[in-house]
Amino acid sequence: MYARDIMDHRFHTLKPDDTVLEAVKQLYSASQAQGKKIFGLMVTDEEDQLVGMLSMYDILLFIQPKHIHIWGEMEDLDPGDLFDERLESVKRVQVKDLMSTDLVTVTPYTHVFRVVDIMIKQHMRRIPVVDDKEVVGIIYRTSVFYSLLKKFTDAPDIGG
Amino acid sequence: MTTVRKRSVLSGMRVKEAMRRLVIRLSSDQTLARGINHLIKFKAGALLVTDQKESPCGVVSKTDIMAAFYGGLPVETRLGEIMAAPPLFCYPDEEIEAGLQRMGEHRVHRLFVQGATSDAVIGTFSYPDIVGLLYRYCSTCKKGHRRASAEGSDDNRARVKEAMTPFVISSAAAAPISEAIEVLSAHTFGAVLLTDSSGKPAGVISKTDLILAFHHGCRPERPAAEIMGSPVLSCSGEDLLADALREMLIRDVQRFFVHGDDPLEIKGVLSLSDAARFRSGTCKACIPSRFISD
Repeated sequence: MYARDIMDHRFHTLKPDDTVLEAVKQLYSASQAQGKKIFGLMVTDEEDQLVGMLSMYDILLFIQPKHIHIWGEMEDLDPGDLFDERLESVKRVQVKDLMSTDLVTVTPYTHVFRVVDIMIKQHMRRIPVVDDKEVVGIIYRTSVFYSLLKKFTDAPDIGG
Repeated sequence: MTTVRKRSVLSGMRVKEAMRRLVIRLSSDQTLARGINHLIKFKAGALLVTDQKESPCGVVSKTDIMAAFYGGLPVETRLGEIMAAPPLFCYPDEEIEAGLQRMGEHRVHRLFVQGATSDAVIGTFSYPDIVGLLYRYCSTCKKGHRRASAEGSDDNRARVKEAMTPFVISSAAAAPISEAIEVLSAHTFGAVLLTDSSGKPAGVISKTDLILAFHHGCRPERPAAEIMGSPVLSCSGEDLLADALREMLIRDVQRFFVHGDDPLEIKGVLSLSDAARFRSGTCKACIPSRFISD
């Protein structure tokens, strides 16, 4: 089994100049369209080449106040209004300001166990599939898991 | 012989108690665009630049990137071309006061914390981290709280006006961004106040705003108003320092502009650096103990 067999051909992408606000909307609409929770999106340039990945983690990391350890010691603090201020600051930030640029990709011909190995060792939830610089799909950790599980449980010597 | 030693809340505390254990490092052949991405993403003021052997060889701060923006360099410029070298270090078991003194001598806002070997960098030590420590120490100091409650007044507590820098630097909101950079470069401030045509506060441009503008392809010839933050966050000089510090820490801002009786009349600026230099976070309970005889 190879990457091409388990990759998702449907994927949404972001542009580097998109605002983070637009990225949040895209994450939501991608989840709606694909019927599953999407935690991160690929970022492609004007030539549709992969330049980064933006995940919910990246956005949460930015929203989180730098001195968060002090918040817990302020018992009379109402975080509601302050969080609104943090969200205001997000409006001025673009996808390229927060995206991860340390990219790990596989090709459609990468063996699925190599994909599993990368996901485990590098704690990755999703890996873009790139063929000759063109993004052709994305592999989610859940897809790998259920594909493998299905293959194992379908085998005649397992569970029989 | 009797010697007089200056003491503060921070006396005896070690760098490891205040340092941030996150070091942003990039190799010298990486671009400024990638450096900006890391500074924004991890809310850092500077990044450590490493050579081909992954040994620390320099520092690139927001100020350095601001200068590159002003000079018209492209964001594809390599970090190694603009870095300041060598990086300055302190040690985890070193006294905070010694680290602060070194920062003052070299006119830098941060030091990198060196681990067991010269290549091992385990954290950064900067003014905002010290303020966080000060706040935590002072907010749990029974002496200060007890004295304030016994006296029933705030008379003995430090005010913003005692720690602030008593002047501001400003530029016109309609003037080019490059003018705001020139004003910032001439002083050791982190932000410049922008004023409208009537001289009233209109907004603020910080070094973070400037590196974001650079990253977004904005030109330094554009009006400063296009990238300024608004409204101007300010407090009164009569406000308690503790309250102002608390607000700055929880709102993630580096400074408050300080006004007098008229909120539109800005008289100074209180930065986290000012608060760190003031040493006492919230009250005057420990001030008598600052000068002792050994």
